[in-house]
Amino acid sequence: MAEPDFDVVIVGAGPAGSCAAIEAARGGLRTLLLERGPFPGSKNMYGGVIYPRILDDLIPQWWNDVPIQRWVTRRSTMILTETQALSVDFRNDAWAAPPYNGATAYRPDFDRWLADHAVAAGATLLCNTTVTGLLRGPSRKSRHAIAGVRTDRPDGDVSATMVIACDGVNSFVAKQAGLYGTPNSKNFTLGVKETLALPKDVIDERFAVRDREGVDIEIIGGTGAINGGGFLYTNLDTIAVGVVLKLTKLASQKTRPEDVIAAMKRHSAIAPLVEGGELKEYSAHLIPEAGLSMMPEMTGNGLLVAGDAAALCLAAGIWLEGVNFAIASGMYAGRTAVEAIAAGDVTQRGLGGYARRLSDTFVLRDHRKLRRAPELVLSDRVQHLYPSMMTGIAERMFRVDNPSAKPGLRRIVREERERAGVKLRHLVRDGHDAFRSFG
Amino acid sequence: MLAVVVVRDGVLPAGGAETISECEGRAMFIGSGTAAAGLEVRHIASEVTIVEVGDFQPAAWTEAVASRLAEEDILVLPASPDGRDLAPRLAARLQRPLYAMCMKVSSTRVDMVRGSGTELHSFQPPRAFVATLQPGVRGVDQIAGRTTTLVYVVEAERRDDATMEALLPADAATIDLSEASRIVAGGAGLDGQGRMVQLAALGTALGASVGATRVVTDRGWAPHERQIGTTGVVVAPQLYIAFGISGAVQHTSGLGQPDHIISINVDPHCPMMQLADLAVVGDANEVLDELLRQVGAANG
Amino acid sequence: MIGVCVKWVRTSAPSGGLSAADEAAIEIGLRHGKAHGMTVIAVTAGGPACEEAVRVALACGATTAVRVNAPDDADSATVAAALAPVLANTVAVWCGDYSIDRGTGSVPALLAAGLDRQQALGLVGVDLRDPLRVTRRLDGGRREMLRITGPAVLSVEGSVARLRRATLRAALAAQTADVVAYDATPLASSATPFIEVRPYRPRARVLRGPVGVTPLDRLRALTDVSGAPQAGETVEGSAAEAAKRILETLRDWGYLS
Ligand SMILES: Cc1cc2nc3c(=O)[nH]c(=O)nc-3n(C[C@H](O)[C@H](O)[C@H](O)COP(=O)(O)OP(=O)(O)OC[C@H]3O[C@@H](n4cnc5c(N)ncnc54)[C@H](O)[C@@H]3O)c2cc1C
Ligand SMILES: Cc1cc2nc3c(=O)[nH]c(=O)nc-3n(C[C@H](O)[C@H](O)[C@H](O)COP(=O)(O)OP(=O)(O)OC[C@H]3O[C@@H](n4cnc5c(N)ncnc54)[C@H](O)[C@@H]3O)c2cc1C
Ligand SMILES: Nc1ncnc2c1ncn2[C@@H]1O[C@H](COP(=O)(O)O)[C@@H](O)[C@H]1O
Repeated sequence: MAEPDFDVVIVGAGPAGSCAAIEAARGGLRTLLLERGPFPGSKNMYGGVIYPRILDDLIPQWWNDVPIQRWVTRRSTMILTETQALSVDFRNDAWAAPPYNGATAYRPDFDRWLADHAVAAGATLLCNTTVTGLLRGPSRKSRHAIAGVRTDRPDGDVSATMVIACDGVNSFVAKQAGLYGTPNSKNFTLGVKETLALPKDVIDERFAVRDREGVDIEIIGGTGAINGGGFLYTNLDTIAVGVVLKLTKLASQKTRPEDVIAAMKRHSAIAPLVEGGELKEYSAHLIPEAGLSMMPEMTGNGLLVAGDAAALCLAAGIWLEGVNFAIASGMYAGRTAVEAIAAGDVTQRGLGGYARRLSDTFVLRDHRKLRRAPELVLSDRVQHLYPSMMTGIAERMFRVDNPSAKPGLRRIVREERERAGVKLRHLVRDGHDAFRSFG
Repeated sequence: MLAVVVVRDGVLPAGGAETISECEGRAMFIGSGTAAAGLEVRHIASEVTIVEVGDFQPAAWTEAVASRLAEEDILVLPASPDGRDLAPRLAARLQRPLYAMCMKVSSTRVDMVRGSGTELHSFQPPRAFVATLQPGVRGVDQIAGRTTTLVYVVEAERRDDATMEALLPADAATIDLSEASRIVAGGAGLDGQGRMVQLAALGTALGASVGATRVVTDRGWAPHERQIGTTGVVVAPQLYIAFGISGAVQHTSGLGQPDHIISINVDPHCPMMQLADLAVVGDANEVLDELLRQVGAANG
Repeated sequence: MIGVCVKWVRTSAPSGGLSAADEAAIEIGLRHGKAHGMTVIAVTAGGPACEEAVRVALACGATTAVRVNAPDDADSATVAAALAPVLANTVAVWCGDYSIDRGTGSVPALLAAGLDRQQALGLVGVDLRDPLRVTRRLDGGRREMLRITGPAVLSVEGSVARLRRATLRAALAAQTADVVAYDATPLASSATPFIEVRPYRPRARVLRGPVGVTPLDRLRALTDVSGAPQAGETVEGSAAEAAKRILETLRDWGYLS
């Protein structure tokens, strides 16, 4: 049988694909990275908060040239009701210096940067090329094995020893390979985001940050009748404000996502922050949200699946992390490919190392840990009752209505809990779940 | 300042008259039928030098008139196809800077559109330069008094230019936007691809071709050759009806000088509404529905 | 040898692209080369990032790719001067009619002047048989048919041809193929003093004044409500009224009977 064109073809030049390519190429594999868009990141959301620490062993000193907007040094969680807001605000100066923690970045820049590293490592990147099918191995032995991809270009078949699917949420490749069940809209949330332009000094002042310092705000209860979460973060001279909404609710409520954002932007706690921002971009994108419960088989014969393609995005309401999971899983997929091809066995068994790596690391640990989190955070109680209870408590604690004396905290909590209609046993159970998840 | 205007068979190019006005009435007509063209601009030009040299030959003409034009500091040509062709040749021959597609030209400043049509940049030109003026940006000044006509005789000794084999008149048969005398065009104000179909129907009723803005062609609602403007087709209709079009310069610069413009737009202040002879403030989609209904009624 | 000039236009942040016209120029250039069994040289002037532009041409079948090093914001004269030496030995140079960022279409014309070639710019039709015959757009919907009898610079509109899609192998090869880089011989910078930038507003247009012998006539003409509306009339009202008004006006103007 003729030598295949490449050792490994990687579909999709997002964070997962590029990191898989970096590892594969460094491992000496002839690596082809295919991207549908005109350049890496072109099809991606404009920006996000990313946690690049995972890059430490892939790109040492990554912070020297990573194209980020701001280092997140303030992270606050905001609980909203119609007329109230309760924030927990955490600021950490250490996050403004290496090795840093999180950063806001424009995805086209960031993805392009990662892809450049893959090319530097020796991978071949080809854009404007969409994978439209999978090639199966001819020989009887590997009949079912994936042996390359078909692209939309004239005579566009590429043979390869194996394929890594990094083609994002709703992975076409993974589905083609039959690794997915039929997608269930219950498993997805819709992410919608507006990017608003503001002068840098205005942003610095509004969010009390300097230079490259930035803010990341998660918002609970700001999405009205539709369960979800909101986020607001600062880039250099733009801010991003968005919501992550439960698809099912969105449908049943017949509301348009942009209206939800608009409403959140009108909230007295948000309005002053976004005021005067000129809309630069509006974008919407599905997020695989159900975590573990929807993850596909991640290995097939001659196939590995990584990143959103494997539903490895952690979207537990106030958590919205996908890039770091994509990077890690892509990296592990790349390493596994190198070993397997060296060992000459790319069958599902031969690629077993991938699953092991995932489950031994934060990738699946976090997902297991936060298994219940999405459900919990998006539950009606957390979405509607608790916010009103907690803001109520805060209001009572800070209210001074002399002559009557200050009520005791225990009493306030009980009364506010009852007012908000929160059952004690629910509180206990959710608290327990929350502890199991986050604690 | 001298307007250099290429004349074909006595016909002035788009923007020819405006360029003369920009140069306070001083012009050189070069080409075929220049004398006849000279009569056309009686109320516009104070002094016209006619150079009868036949078919368009940018290279040969440049040589022929270079010495004469060297005496003029500022040469302005209409940014019509022929003007855009000749101007760079002249600039190169006379070793002067070229300011192409200006909005405004004077001895002290030239205005040009930059930043994808959103900004107007002003430069201070040197004493001598060549410029082309966007057709349709300034209109024409009428002047009192009569036109003096000077004849400048040259023999454009044939240098190597492309040979014109035929001058094809605009014929309705080849339904090319650029040749349509009536155009109904749709912009981002329209709320769906179906609207373009409706527009076509209205077009048939009015004997008009359908045009679009880039936003619309980008959305794939209409093919690229339907796009009117700098990166699309340059048109020259008598009647232009704009549905939900803001009138960005990249669009209007391809519009020529329609005799009549109707614009339907929710924003009475956008450029297209300013340009319009009849500016209708309202929802283009509803108005389109109504027009079809009423035209249908009219027909039967 | 056939020449093709392409410009890399920066679009969204980290990337750029070619105009439809430049893609058409590549396609026609390739067909021209094939028809006459000639090699095709693709050239661009600009910074290293612009290599992408000529790689597109390579992927689609161009023989050689050249980048003349020049500032990305170089003016048309500089660009033309930079391109000319590379194209000295070509029999035909194909360009796009406008580059979409600053499009004035003057680079091809200046190139023709610089190379002292025949020029045929803003083409809407091309017949590659010998001798080369092209159709050029004039104003007023007129067109002229030109016969090209010698070395020429030609520029085409985007609608003239759609660029072929590179095969996978060619696209891959083009990535690593080397692009010859020259340095432009710097010419006396023609940078003109910059005065100011303002947001674009359409320039006030002079409109024909009212006709009439006596001042009273002219006054009437101005205030007369019957007949065609005065320039720049604005009307509001229901869709039905609006449509009615539009059709009336079209009748007044004689477009409808
Ligand atoms: C609104 C929103 C906000 C988010 N915010 C954050 C955040 O703040 N922080 C964070 O860490 N994560 C965030 N995420 C999640 C994050 O964007 C994803 O988890 C991450 O991009 C996954 O990376 P990936 O490489 O797996 O997939 P992607 O980044 O989606 O990359 C997939 C690539 O494959 C290409 N492709 C797809 N199909 C094909 C094909 N057939 N052929 C060739 N190429 C193909 C696509 O063009 C794309 O470039 C957010 C997501 C959304 C929707
Ligand atoms: C390099 C470059 C080249 C370009 N070349 C071209 C070109 O060749 N041709 C071209 O057309 N554009 C071109 N453009 C784009 C151009 O700048 C404008 O963006 C475009 O012309 C705007 O099209 P539009 O008027 O349809 O959309 P908009 O500018 O968005 O205008 C929409 C209009 O519709 C109105 N509207 C909205 N809703 C309604 C409603 N319900 N009823 C009535 N009115 C409504 C709005 O008030 C607005 O005035 C180019 C841009 C660049 C950067
Ligand atoms: N920097 C450049 N490099 C190569 N070709 C160019 C460059 N700039 C313009 N051109 C060519 O000239 C045509 C018209 O460009 P312009 O004169 O800038 O409108 C383009 O379509 C290209 O074919």
